[in-house]
Amino acid sequence: MSKPEFVYITYIETTPEQLWHALTDGDFHERYWFGHRVASDWKVGSPYRFAKQGSPSVEGKVLESEPPKRLVYTWDSCSPEARKERTSRVAFDIEPRGTVVKLTVTHDNLDEGGKTLRDISGGWPMVIASLKSLLETGRPLPAELALTQETSDA
Amino acid sequence: MPKPEFIYVVYIETTPEKLWEALTSSEFSKRYWWNTEVKSDWKVGSPFALVMNGAPTDVGEVLEVDRPRRLSYTFHHVTSEVARRERPSKVVFNLEPHGKLVKLTLTHEDFEAGSKLLDGISKGWPAILSSLKSLLESGTALDVPLSALGIEGIE
Repeated sequence: MSKPEFVYITYIETTPEQLWHALTDGDFHERYWFGHRVASDWKVGSPYRFAKQGSPSVEGKVLESEPPKRLVYTWDSCSPEARKERTSRVAFDIEPRGTVVKLTVTHDNLDEGGKTLRDISGGWPMVIASLKSLLETGRPLPAELALTQETSDA
Repeated sequence: MPKPEFIYVVYIETTPEKLWEALTSSEFSKRYWWNTEVKSDWKVGSPFALVMNGAPTDVGEVLEVDRPRRLSYTFHHVTSEVARRERPSKVVFNLEPHGKLVKLTLTHEDFEAGSKLLDGISKGWPAILSSLKSLLESGTALDVPLSALGIEGIE
């Protein structure tokens, strides 16, 4: 584990399979991730990319892919400022807990004081809150939520 | 060395008033907090207690009440011998409206270095606040098994 890292834990009324689908399916991803669609074949070593309205936002490669338990990918934000920073890493751990699922997101290998650390620390709680709402209620959180952060970064 | 504290942010589709009610009403808290009643008259300086299945687990004093924006209380865990010897820590809830949502920021701080309680609450709060979000948005709280959290001393 490399510092600094960001860890976020949540519990969701869903199944590990549905949660895996939510993390890896482009259509579903776009709905809760405020318009960012993901694409990959999810094989270890394969590339993946997030794009919003066709414009790339995050890219990297798949490091671990063990459906429906653990997904790890590298993370390079496509913004010019973040491009100067080192490649970070995101791990999703999915664990059944009775009738619910525990999701742990660990984002590490981040630059101390960098733009990526700042962005993801604000961003993950929004994304995961929206993911949980979509899986539990069928409605994601409104996209305006993410705009508040994008505006403040500009 | 980082400050020993736990911070958790969650966005909930609700109003600040409903969230405030959820944080301060024992009838409400029982539904999302493993049958735990939040007890206080919520006046600054008044006692505060968490009562689980009739027995107090945590006690403290109300420090700040700014309905529906900010609530804080001291927090002293009383069921485990080790935690009882630690000085009281402090819990702060900040509620900020964001359009149709509320951003809830929990800060649990003022721990002793090497606090045993910090480990326990770091595992407990994500489950409690996840369940609270579910209850406010879908009408149903989560049934997270307390035993599955991996908190020392809880079977």
